[in-house]
Amino acid sequence: MIIDVNTHLGHYPFRPVRFTSAARMIEHMDAHGIDMAVVSSLHAVFYRDSHRGNEELFQDVRQFPDRLIPVATVNPKYVGWERDLEESVRRWNAKGVTLLPEHHGYSLTGELGRAALGRIVDYDLPVVLTQRLEDRRQRHHWDVAEDLTTAQLTEVAAAHPKLRCLLSNWIGLNGAQLIAAGLRGRCLIDFARLDVLLNKAIPKLVDELRVESIAFGSHLPFDYLGPSLVKLANIAALFPAEDYEKIAWKNAAAFFRLEIAEGRTGRRKGGP
Amino acid sequence: MTMENRRTFLRNAGTAFGAFAVASRNSVAADADRDKVEDAESSMLDWPDGVGLPQGWRQMRKLDAHNHVMQDVHKPQADWSSVENLVAAAQALGINKLYCSRPVSKGILAEIAAVRDANDSVLAAMKRFPGQIEGYCFVQPGNGPAALDEIERCLEAGMIGVKLYNQFKYTDPIVFPVVERCIERRIPILGHSAYLTDAKSLAAQPLTSHALDFCELSGRYPELILILGHVNGGGDWEWAIKGLRDCPNVYLDTSGSVLEDDTIGRCVLELGHRRILFATDLTMEGGVGKILSAELTLQQREDIFWRNFQGILDRRAA
Repeated sequence: MIIDVNTHLGHYPFRPVRFTSAARMIEHMDAHGIDMAVVSSLHAVFYRDSHRGNEELFQDVRQFPDRLIPVATVNPKYVGWERDLEESVRRWNAKGVTLLPEHHGYSLTGELGRAALGRIVDYDLPVVLTQRLEDRRQRHHWDVAEDLTTAQLTEVAAAHPKLRCLLSNWIGLNGAQLIAAGLRGRCLIDFARLDVLLNKAIPKLVDELRVESIAFGSHLPFDYLGPSLVKLANIAALFPAEDYEKIAWKNAAAFFRLEIAEGRTGRRKGGP
Repeated sequence: MTMENRRTFLRNAGTAFGAFAVASRNSVAADADRDKVEDAESSMLDWPDGVGLPQGWRQMRKLDAHNHVMQDVHKPQADWSSVENLVAAAQALGINKLYCSRPVSKGILAEIAAVRDANDSVLAAMKRFPGQIEGYCFVQPGNGPAALDEIERCLEAGMIGVKLYNQFKYTDPIVFPVVERCIERRIPILGHSAYLTDAKSLAAQPLTSHALDFCELSGRYPELILILGHVNGGGDWEWAIKGLRDCPNVYLDTSGSVLEDDTIGRCVLELGHRRILFATDLTMEGGVGKILSAELTLQQREDIFWRNFQGILDRRAA
C-alpha cells in the first residue's frame, strides 16, 4: 500500500501538466501502484477567491472517496475565509489545510498568518506548507513566489506549539533545527525532494526525527512519479519492513487520521 | 538486509561497498577481496524492483553521461567518502559507469594550475574506481594553449571528453581552439547550460550558454560532438528543448535536480530519442526514476540509458 502525500489537481498557469482531473490522477496512480493520494487544488493557488478552487476540488474527488484525500486551501486575506474553512472542514471533510503565504501575499508570522494557523489548530487539522511549487530558475516572470525557509517554519512552529505540519516538497531540512523548534512528533516530511542513497537525506532525518516523520510524496502532477518510486524501492532494500510500511503509507494514514479499510493494506509485489 | 548492513550503508558509504572500495584501489587485491566485490555488486542488484517500476530496472545497463567528483581526493589523507557514496549509489541503481568532471565553477577564470588540480581529482577517482568512474577534462578556454595541453594530458590519462563550464559563452571565439581540438580527437564536449529566467540566478552566471548558443556553435562546427548539459538543471527546460530543434548535431543530457513531468516525453517528441542521453548530475535516484516513468518503448529506454552515449564513445576509436 502506498499513500502519496504530495499531489495537486487542476491546471498550472505557467506550463501544461498532464494529470489535471481526479479521473486522470486515479488512472496514473493505478498505472504506478499508488493506492491513495492527498490532493489540493492548483486553481486555489491562483484564483482570487481560493475557495472556488476548493469547490472544484471537493466536487472532483468525491467520486473517489477511498482514493483521494482532499486538503482545503485557505487565503486569510480574502473575505469570508473563516466561513469557507468551516465549510471545507464540516461539509467536505477536508483532512488538512494548505496555506500559501508567498502566492497569496501575507506572512505566516504576521496577523493574518497567525489567525489562519490558529484556526487550523482549533480544528485539530494539519497545515500543509509547500516550500515551492517549482524551481525559481525557470519561472515565468509573473511567478514571484519565493521558497519558504526553515527560519519561517521554525518561527511558526514555536508560535503554535499544537500545530501539526505536513512539510511538502522541502529540501535542506535540518533535523536538529526542527527538533529545537519542537517539531519532532508533529511534522510529517514528504520525501519528494530528498534522497536515500547519495546524500542520505531521508535516512538522516529518520535518525534525527524518527521514522514516523517521513512519508512518500511525489509532487504530482509537476514531477514524475518514478523518482519517488525508486526511493521507495531503495527504502524497501535498506530499512526494516515495518519502517518501509510506515514511510509508504502508515505515517500518512496516522497523520491525516485516515480510516483504511481492512484488506486494503496488503503489500504489493516488490515491497519488502 | 539486516539493520546492521543498513547502518553500514547509510553511515559508511555502502553496504558491502567498503570491501569494494578496498579491492578497487588495490591492484593486487586478494581473491577473497574480489569475491567480496562480486558479492557487493550482486547483492545490490538483488535489491527489490519496488512498486510501479519496470521489472528488472536495476539490471538495465546505464551510462551516466554527466556526473561529478567534487572533492580533493587526489591529495594526501583525502576523505573519499563522497566518491564512495557516489559509486555505491550508482551500484544500487544499476548505473554501470559514471562520466565525471570537476569544473571550476562560479565563473572563475582559473589559472591552469587550478584547472589541472581539479582534473587531478577526477583522475584519482578514475584510478581508484577503474571501470566505474570515467573522466571529462575540464578546461577554461581563457588559458589558451595551456588548455589544449591540458586536454592532451587528460586524454593520455584516459579521459573521454571535455567539460566546459560558464567562463565564456560557447559562441565566444576564445572557445574555438578547444572545439577544434575536440573535433580532431573525436571526443565530445559536455557543456554546462541553462536558460535562466530568474534575475538572481542569471546575475550569478551571466555567461552560461543556452540552447541557441549550442546551436550556433554546432552550426559553425557540424563535426563537433556537442552535449547540452542537464536539461533539468534549473533553467527553462521547455525553452532548451525547443531551442535545439533545428540543431541535429547537438545531444542533450537528462540530468538535473528538476524532475518535472513530462521533460523526457517532450525531448523525444521534439528531438527524437537518439539525441537524448541519460545522466543524473548527482540527482541519482531522480535521474533514474524519470527515465523509468517516462512513456518510452524498451528500445528507446535502452538507447537513452546507454546506447546513444556508447555511440558517442565509439566514435573515438573509429
